[in-house]
Amino acid sequence: MKPRNALSPWLFLLPALVIALAFHIAPFIDTIVKSFTNYTPSRGGRFIGFDNYIRMLGDDNFWLALGNTALYMVVVVPFMVLLPLLLAMLAKPKVPGIGFFRASYYTPVVASMVAVGIIWQMLLREDGIINWLFSLLRPGTQAINFLSDSNLFLFCCMAVTIWKGLGYYMVIYLAGLANVPSELHEAASMDGAGIFRRFWSVVLPSLRPTMLLIALLSAIAAMKVFAEVYVLGGGATAGPANSGLTMVFLIRQNMSSFDSQVGYASALSLSLFVLTIGLSIAYVRMTRQETAS
Amino acid sequence: MLTKFHLTDCKVCENISKALVRTNFANEGARIRMRGKLMSGKRSLLKIAIVSATVFSLSACGLNGVDTGTDEKVALKTDNLSGEITFQTLALKPTFDDYINERIATFEKANPGTKIKWEDISFDGAQEKVSTAAQSNTMADIVNLNPNFAQPLEREGYFLDLDAAAPDAKKNYVEGAWNAFTVPAKEGSFGIPWYLTSEITMYNKDLFSKSGLDPEKAPATQEELYSAAEKVAAAGNGQFYGLHPALENRFIVDLAKMGVPLISDDFKKWEFNTPEAVAHVERLKTMYDSGVFSKDALTEGHAKEREAYMSDSIALFPSGPNFLKTIESDAPQVFSETAVAPQITGKDGVSNMSVMGLLIPNNSKNKELATAFALFISNDESQLELAKIAPVIPSSIGSLSDPYFEDDSDGTITSQARKISAAQIKDAENLVPVQFDDTVKKIVIENVQKAILGQMTAQDALDDAVKRATEVTTQAAEGN
Repeated sequence: MKPRNALSPWLFLLPALVIALAFHIAPFIDTIVKSFTNYTPSRGGRFIGFDNYIRMLGDDNFWLALGNTALYMVVVVPFMVLLPLLLAMLAKPKVPGIGFFRASYYTPVVASMVAVGIIWQMLLREDGIINWLFSLLRPGTQAINFLSDSNLFLFCCMAVTIWKGLGYYMVIYLAGLANVPSELHEAASMDGAGIFRRFWSVVLPSLRPTMLLIALLSAIAAMKVFAEVYVLGGGATAGPANSGLTMVFLIRQNMSSFDSQVGYASALSLSLFVLTIGLSIAYVRMTRQETAS
Repeated sequence: MLTKFHLTDCKVCENISKALVRTNFANEGARIRMRGKLMSGKRSLLKIAIVSATVFSLSACGLNGVDTGTDEKVALKTDNLSGEITFQTLALKPTFDDYINERIATFEKANPGTKIKWEDISFDGAQEKVSTAAQSNTMADIVNLNPNFAQPLEREGYFLDLDAAAPDAKKNYVEGAWNAFTVPAKEGSFGIPWYLTSEITMYNKDLFSKSGLDPEKAPATQEELYSAAEKVAAAGNGQFYGLHPALENRFIVDLAKMGVPLISDDFKKWEFNTPEAVAHVERLKTMYDSGVFSKDALTEGHAKEREAYMSDSIALFPSGPNFLKTIESDAPQVFSETAVAPQITGKDGVSNMSVMGLLIPNNSKNKELATAFALFISNDESQLELAKIAPVIPSSIGSLSDPYFEDDSDGTITSQARKISAAQIKDAENLVPVQFDDTVKKIVIENVQKAILGQMTAQDALDDAVKRATEVTTQAAEGN
């Protein structure tokens, strides 16, 4: 290749490279550097070694946030893997009007989180629709304090995450289902397999890579949860007595004012990054094993 | 921050530079020894290393904070004005478009060659927006902030000292309002007080009647407030309540009204864990447990309190008279049942007031014009006009003495509220210390919620809050 031509690919790549460098690589490296400093926007900072990381290990809020984030992942991911699959099975047949149902299931995905939060507050309030339904089923029942009970608040946020995410993963499953060869269904039917047997022996094995992908995507989304806790929790604290504190909420709490502890928040961000990368590596290894087998 | 490079100032940069030099020598050696693909691979790695090291060094050198501009501490000449400035307000668009545009036109006409560009930001996230602008040196020439939002920036020297820049201005404003923009242990005052509000008590006469309370008599003290709230909640039986606690807005003000000392004289050590404060938290817990206010209200703030009042869900709404306008337009039925009374106070009868100010960044390119316009928009004439279209109280002494603030002859609750608020403002104070920032507030509210939910005793919750809040405030003051 002549030198002039050798430059051409780089010129084509230049805009993307500049954007990646300016908005991804540089801020990322900036975060790594600042995690070793006591930087605040108002005063700048100096290098303090691993102090932020040592402080993190002794910070009760870090462990609370980490525990809540892990719990979020453990509860939300199975629902995100299974429920959209059921929805996709229901929405797959090409019958008249199915487009309406597919659109309905997908609507929460595109709805604004603030609007979703208001809707769920109306559902979950002490005088909300769910408590009203309970009182109809069993008059005189004391209302459940979904939003002010420290033990229930995080699960309410999880319900919102699941409800809002179902449609998105359903679409991925619909694409996966369309790729299951019809010959396999026909062969299984000829062997006398019923609908459940075909689902178990044909559909599920074919969808394993899709399920793994959805598990990874929903786990990463669960690690980054913030808006649900912010909207349902009122904003000042992460729900009642900070019981819904998650990693991203904790990072934000340390970043929201002019005296923000950017150094400490950067260390928290990096710990979240390491967890996310760990999950992604586990996923890559699992898919490699899947391909090999 | 990626804007500042002081290679000689920074150990890290020095080490990186040395490493880069070493890498270049190594690269030279490699060029001689290696050929073909192996060399090409090493080169790629080297390029990545150089790019990474460069980015790293840029990042590492951005640890110096922000250039706050210089404050020469001299009186500014405002007699020969020209140029353009940006005037930023807080949540005044679109309601006050006509007023602000008319004031700008009048100023520009009186000062040919000047141009005032008006921009408005919403209240939600305002602190973060101004903070981001400060960090990137892109603040407007005049910013509209309250003392709590402004304090961290004032402390770091971002704003012009108006005691020095406009030495004749101070005498024209209510003293408490002018002093709201001072910083402990720092000379000067950094904001021109603009409009003020002093909370009044709004209450629903219909719900009072239904609860067996006298609809013509509002509670005057905190004890009377809680007693009335208990009666309303008992009558409401879950359909309506007496009050909304709005902890994040009300808790610390209530302690101040009760005479609880909030912070030490040097403004570094919080000290609100007194027996009176403990008793207050225990009282809140008792009211929460017995259903005096809605369970969901525990985590809610002032916006939800207002919604609850406008939807007939609470009978009492102690808040600024400026919200009367919203109630009138969004809930006319509730407005027709609303009566107003003076602010609920504590033992010593001191009222709280909220101050809005205008601050001029030191790095403004036209401080003379910015100061002149800030003084113009907050002068007697401008503030009186504003008070006539909004239920706010002027901070300028000249306009405050106008008969307009004594006149409630039209019998409307809006004019009654204005009269009450103006009468209160003369002796009112900004009871919330400016050190009660978002971080301290979160700590306090989290612990009060824990005490109310029974996860901690009231004493432990306040002791822990005092300890953690003091750490935050001391750190902020000393810059550790």
